[in-house]
Amino acid sequence: MAGSSRISRRDFVKVVTIALSSVMGAALGIPVIGYLIDPALKVQSSEAWIPLGPLENFPLGSPKSFSFTRSSVNGWEKTVNSYGGFILRKTETDLLALSSRCTHLSCSVNWDEGNNNYACPCHAAHFGSEGEVLDGPPPAPLDRYETKIEEGNLFIFFQKG
Amino acid sequence: MNDDFKKKVNEKYEEKLQKGERFWPDSIYKDLLVSFALFILLIGLATFIGIHPEPKVDPTDASYVPRPEWYFLFLFEFLKYFPGEIEWVGAAVIPGILVLALILLPLYDKNPFRHYSKRKFAIGLMTFIVIGMIGLTINAVITTPPQVETEIAGSLTEQIVLGQDLYSIQCVECHGPDGEGGEIAGVEGLEGVIVKSISSTDEMYTRNDGSLFDIIAYGQPNLGMPPFGGAYGGELTPSEIEYMVAFMRYSWDDRAEIPADAVAASAIPTLAEGEVPSYEVHISAVSKRYCMSCHREGKENNEYLMGSYEEILKSGNNVPNLVAGDLNSILLQTIQQNEVIGVDDETIGVMPPKKELKPEFVDMFIRWVEAGMPESASEAAALSVEVAPEVEGEVAPEAGVEETPAP
Amino acid sequence: MFKKIYAWLDERVGFDGLYKNLLDRPEPHGNWWNTLGSASLFLFIMQGATGIFLTVYYTPSPDHAYDSIQYIMNGVAFGWLIRGIHHWGASLMVLIVFIHMLRTFFSASYKYPRELTWIVGSLLFLLTLGMGFTGYLLPFNQRAYWATVVATEIGGVVPGIGDFILKALRGGTDVSALTLSRFFSAHIWMLPAALAGLIGVHLYLIMRHGESAYPDQDD
Ligand code: HEM
Ligand code: FES
Repeated sequence: MAGSSRISRRDFVKVVTIALSSVMGAALGIPVIGYLIDPALKVQSSEAWIPLGPLENFPLGSPKSFSFTRSSVNGWEKTVNSYGGFILRKTETDLLALSSRCTHLSCSVNWDEGNNNYACPCHAAHFGSEGEVLDGPPPAPLDRYETKIEEGNLFIFFQKG
Repeated sequence: MNDDFKKKVNEKYEEKLQKGERFWPDSIYKDLLVSFALFILLIGLATFIGIHPEPKVDPTDASYVPRPEWYFLFLFEFLKYFPGEIEWVGAAVIPGILVLALILLPLYDKNPFRHYSKRKFAIGLMTFIVIGMIGLTINAVITTPPQVETEIAGSLTEQIVLGQDLYSIQCVECHGPDGEGGEIAGVEGLEGVIVKSISSTDEMYTRNDGSLFDIIAYGQPNLGMPPFGGAYGGELTPSEIEYMVAFMRYSWDDRAEIPADAVAASAIPTLAEGEVPSYEVHISAVSKRYCMSCHREGKENNEYLMGSYEEILKSGNNVPNLVAGDLNSILLQTIQQNEVIGVDDETIGVMPPKKELKPEFVDMFIRWVEAGMPESASEAAALSVEVAPEVEGEVAPEAGVEETPAP
Repeated sequence: MFKKIYAWLDERVGFDGLYKNLLDRPEPHGNWWNTLGSASLFLFIMQGATGIFLTVYYTPSPDHAYDSIQYIMNGVAFGWLIRGIHHWGASLMVLIVFIHMLRTFFSASYKYPRELTWIVGSLLFLLTLGMGFTGYLLPFNQRAYWATVVATEIGGVVPGIGDFILKALRGGTDVSALTLSRFFSAHIWMLPAALAGLIGVHLYLIMRHGESAYPDQDD
């Protein structure tokens, strides 16, 4: 491409222009995509046994609420999140731990003693005492936590991510 | 400027255009190559030189040498020639005049000629100014004193690891390696004081990072804890205190999960069977964590310091503290809970005074002395042998190859 | 299909006119020194792009500025690259703009009819320095803080109005959260807006008068 004719020189410059611009665009553009979506790619999983105190604090027969906090690192900040749920102690050692997070859009459900069900305040859904959906939009029963009892203390298994 | 002159200029320019080139493709081509070169240069600078890390703001640190960006250095330097009363001349009047002169240049430069040979004054003056600026900049660079470099943690993991090192040196003598507290032994002025645990759930759930920071910075003078923050007469910078807080929070607060790589990075390396420990990798890690809090400058320690290989062997009033191959060496005896009589007939108590070293660390010291106390990892590696487990058992009965628990 | 879209756009945009006026301009014979203006423009665009990306994570408050920058450098994929380009691009831009100014001075390009090009250009140079000055504080590290303390102090020595200048720059008597916010605002909104506007004027003037020719013996 010795620039023999005007036209070929123009074409040559055109090709070089496009090539170099694309190289620069890609050299900056591809890292930038990674940069922007980076938080979405981070694994933020965490799991732990959470102590909820002595077993005798939980009465037999009716659900009792509990709550705990976990902190996770988001960027350079620690975010402390609260979690809650209900323990239904059916017999001495047969326990059901339900998350209070509604499976529809994450509002917190409450135990309604009178109607013997969990009511979600957001879209008027109801869950039975085992967490099963009675009515309303939620697509699934309430989440369950695994439980264990050690030296008279109740623990639940927390898992996230 | 009359119209004739203007016409002449414009006609001349038209002529030049006739003999000239086109913006596309002639100029753009060169522009593009230069821009591309600058782009490569920028990527190169960002990748291979990077950005010098700087510590966090510390308004109390009067020793910091303020430095402007390099392209303002000449101004900075220029001001040195205008001390005291007339400083404003150098700071405002002269730069103001120069800036105005620059902006308005085409309005007062009435010289109609454009060729260099006919603009000797203008070109001379500008050259003088530019050389002056370069000279001032160079002078500023060579006269600014070097900055004291401090270690800077980038990631959370680095913060925790640095924080643990700082904690080990500054706090362990009173609070113990795991913040467990207890009775203080061997600390001037605080002998026998009982310190409550600072790593308990009670503490961790009721003190946020800010309070922990303040307690370290200001101390608890009424309870005997001295201030550590530079602002209150201590020796730590705000960044350093933050690293310590990060270490405490992630190690002791069960709501915060410590990153796995931080656990790995701060663990004291374990010994394989038949492996000979080195000062560089093993001994220095143990002594930093458990001993240096007292065995450093300015503490009551019979002048025995443990900051380096040299010091561990040759400092203090009871040299030799360690003799290669001698299992009765003073240091080995004290860490095995035997009191020894020192050179001046004084009893040297057991070490560490408060809490026995974990057996695997005691074993580490014993194996190190037996092998001749190698300093570097490579020397130690040369001495190491792949031995069958029985032989290992004879040499060091206590050999605990258990995993070091996370602190 | 493409032809149709092109024709539709061309009818409204007028690519031909654009080509004639923007690209197919005649110019006197130039040399490599003539590339520095567009190099300045290129660096301005790079600074703009990387700067915008930095604001995705950067937080202009004394409590978070430093940590957010640390996070960009160590926690975000390619954060070091984006910040590295912005950091070095700033220095490079000052340098290139300055050399570009010197070249237009030495080639006497500022004389009739390009006086206004020079005046606008010199304002661009000052704004570029202003970008460097305000950007320097943003990481809120020791270097940034102390340099800003001293630099704003210099404004304070002017007799009579020094105290006013100092407080106006700092947003109060101390270098504080207010200083950081106003420097941030200046750095990402006011100065770039002024720069972009004046660059537009600068470029218009260049197209109007054409690139100057290097002076001959008889000029
Ligand atoms: C952000 C900063 C600036 C940008 C983006 C910029 C951009 C440009 C561009 C693209 C050109 C045409 C190509 C060339 O001649 O190099 C140009 C020409 C010019 N610039 Fe700038 N410039 C900047 C700063 C300045 C400064 C600081 C001055 C002087 C005080 C200045 C004075 C001129 C003059 C007089 C011309 C006409 C040169 C000629 O016709 O030969 N510019 N500028
Ligand atoms: S969130 Fe519970 S019903 Fe919609």
